[in-house]
Amino acid sequence: MTKVALTLTINGQRHEVLTEPHRTLLDVLRADLGLTGTKENCLEAECGVCTVLLDGRAVNACILLAAQCQGRQVLTIEGLGRDGQLHPLQQAFIDHGAVQCGYCIPAMILSAKAYLDEHPAPTEAHVREALAGNLCRCTGYQKIADAVLAAARELAHRR
Amino acid sequence: MSFEYHEPTSLAEAVDLGARFGADGRFLAGGTDLIIQIRRGKLRLRHVVGLHRVPGLDGIDANGSVTLGALVTHRALERHSAFQGRLRALVEGAEVVGGHQVRNVGTVGGNIVNASPAADVTPVLLTLDTTVTCAGRGGERTLPLDGFLVGPGQTALRPGELLTGLRFSALPGRSATAFLKAGRRKAMEISVVCVAARLTLDAAGERCAEVRIALGAVAPTTRRARAAERALEGRVPTPDALRAAGRLAAAESQPISDVRASARYRTLVVETLVTRALTRCLERIRDAAS
Repeated sequence: MTKVALTLTINGQRHEVLTEPHRTLLDVLRADLGLTGTKENCLEAECGVCTVLLDGRAVNACILLAAQCQGRQVLTIEGLGRDGQLHPLQQAFIDHGAVQCGYCIPAMILSAKAYLDEHPAPTEAHVREALAGNLCRCTGYQKIADAVLAAARELAHRR
Repeated sequence: MSFEYHEPTSLAEAVDLGARFGADGRFLAGGTDLIIQIRRGKLRLRHVVGLHRVPGLDGIDANGSVTLGALVTHRALERHSAFQGRLRALVEGAEVVGGHQVRNVGTVGGNIVNASPAADVTPVLLTLDTTVTCAGRGGERTLPLDGFLVGPGQTALRPGELLTGLRFSALPGRSATAFLKAGRRKAMEISVVCVAARLTLDAAGERCAEVRIALGAVAPTTRRARAAERALEGRVPTPDALRAAGRLAAAESQPISDVRASARYRTLVVETLVTRALTRCLERIRDAAS
């Protein structure tokens, strides 16, 4: 199988990757680049644990070929904090006890970020709809919704 | 899963690759169905042809009649200002597909070619008398969407042929559309039944001039309920007449029992949703007029 040479911009850093064309962004992130904050589970775009932001929009990395990301901007959970500081969403998840096993959380936070970037003052119903593509088997979602709403207020306060 | 990946940068190049690979290849739009089918081993392909670098396939032109490129995403449908009025059902169908992650990449063209009997946007497009345009080595052809859908996962696309876009006429005044979906939860749900309706009243605003009703998840393809449409055309849309149309649509549906619902339940839901969707169209026409 011919390999393809890709230039991917991940968390603001350029990476040169040589990979088989059938490999997904999720494969490359986890296996080639060691960015294991993006999780792997259903591989069918149902559970959402592989969510990353592609040019600012939430996508399932499990069904996206790495080759489709050539020349585009990818944000993973590793790139969310700045200068050693947690992003307000990360801090709010901690403060509200929104994390139990943690497996769904990186994706949950990235979906929330994509949504808040476009909708800075959501209602709880909006937040729940925004996170519909992210499953959590531990928390029952209430603390997650609370954390996202708190982060929205904090982000509005900083603006 | 293992294949060669190609990214043509023009339609001509894409058509050429499609013709060269035939049944050994498939075009990749959003990938929300295709990549999963490849991974499940349902599709064994030697070539995947990504379409994202072909210019002009993701446009929405809504000046007069509406043209949608095959790569228009569900997200783009949901947000387009031209679909907030009479064509509201397009938004209602698009916004219940998967989660944001799927709607951000999944395309209207891919959804049609995937030909799921439970597709949500396709019934809406059927009520708009949509035509599809396909490009192949023999040139371009345009055919009605109704008829393009042949069976579960099957369309009239020839091997190597590519769906490039869709087209439908703008709706006249005194028209409205509505889309309703029944599922076991509100999001991330494959429809148990979905229904789209379009109603156009006559110049006096009294009788139904044109009626379209389309059903999802109750037949091998999404399909129109023609007997119900005919029964309403020329009639005054009284509550009784709308209920009668619901009953006719239920009689026309051919649901199966599966893990999501029984055939009997689906038939009952068709009756209710068709009546409700038509009623909603009528309310919308009246709201727009007042």
